Amino acid sequence: MATLHLLSHSPFSDSRLASCLRLLGPDDGVLLSGDAVYALQPGTAQLQALELMPASIALYALDEDLQARALSAPARAQAIDYPTFVELCGHYAKVNSWL
Amino acid sequence: MSKSMLIISRQAPWAGPSTREALDIALAGGAFDLPLGLLFLDDGVFQLVAGQQAAALQQKDLTANLQALPLFGVEELFVSSRSLTERGLIDAQLILPAVELDDHALAQLLDRFDQVVTI
Amino acid sequence: MKFAIALFAPSHAPSSRRALRFAQATVDGGHEIVRLFFYQDGVHSASSNVVSPQDELDLAGEWRNFVQQHNLDAVVCIAAALRRGVLNAEEAQRYGRPAANLDAPWELSGLGQLHEAAQMADRLVCFGGQ
Repeated sequence: MATLHLLSHSPFSDSRLASCLRLLGPDDGVLLSGDAVYALQPGTAQLQALELMPASIALYALDEDLQARALSAPARAQAIDYPTFVELCGHYAKVNSWL
Repeated sequence: MSKSMLIISRQAPWAGPSTREALDIALAGGAFDLPLGLLFLDDGVFQLVAGQQAAALQQKDLTANLQALPLFGVEELFVSSRSLTERGLIDAQLILPAVELDDHALAQLLDRFDQVVTI
Repeated sequence: MKFAIALFAPSHAPSSRRALRFAQATVDGGHEIVRLFFYQDGVHSASSNVVSPQDELDLAGEWRNFVQQHNLDAVVCIAAALRRGVLNAEEAQRYGRPAANLDAPWELSGLGQLHEAAQMADRLVCFGGQ
């Protein structure tokens, strides 16, 4: 029953990403959207934490949010569009949004 | 069979209506006999502190709603031991008999429910 | 696949737009939306009194068009809406308020509708925050 975790708050001003990372199951996925994509800013502890996740945990970022913020997806993350977001919801057993 | 839902409440009681509204999701689901769990995480553990005085802020007491959870069929109550420890509450008397779980057990808990909503 | 989509953010929040784009992608992908449920500050995303500057996205208007175009079941939580001043004509009259700001295609109803939608759907997807 793997979970896709959806985050949308900046990890520099908010504890949601840190809390989420502690609760991940081995086959869960993490999807960064909105200001949560700032977690992919190079040279940060936040990106390092994401890169330390086990390889079985997939990492996604919403492409439009990356583009808007002049960020690009590092090798560890996959930039996705909305149709892929929708399909991912079916790939995982449930979606946990950190509202 | 009905789908189960875990509601993760991670806000202190004093941040506006959203804490109460998270609780209302649980109470509404309990009224429909749905299999529900409620997990207090991060600042959400402050909801469980005894002796809080909502009247000092002219607010309604959340305690009554929390204690109504078992009456509404919401009997699976959990709290993060890490969140309690971080906030100096690990030895505190809590107003609900919530099961304390470490991070590993919390990951397993999330896995067990069909749906999870984190507010 | 059947989706229940819940929105917890007002129309000026980025997550309201994200929820709409996601909802559009589900329909475009041949999926079904069993219900939209607007809760907490999400009730503002259903307000008919939001006026966006002409050169800005009118998200509340886009939501309304989307719901109408696809004839969706779109529910606004009544308790959350009353608390935030989002009323239809019936509630405005009931509480003696001078104006209504919620209209068809939205319906005011209770939280049971969220649970019912979650039971009917294959996936419940919630949107809120930034």
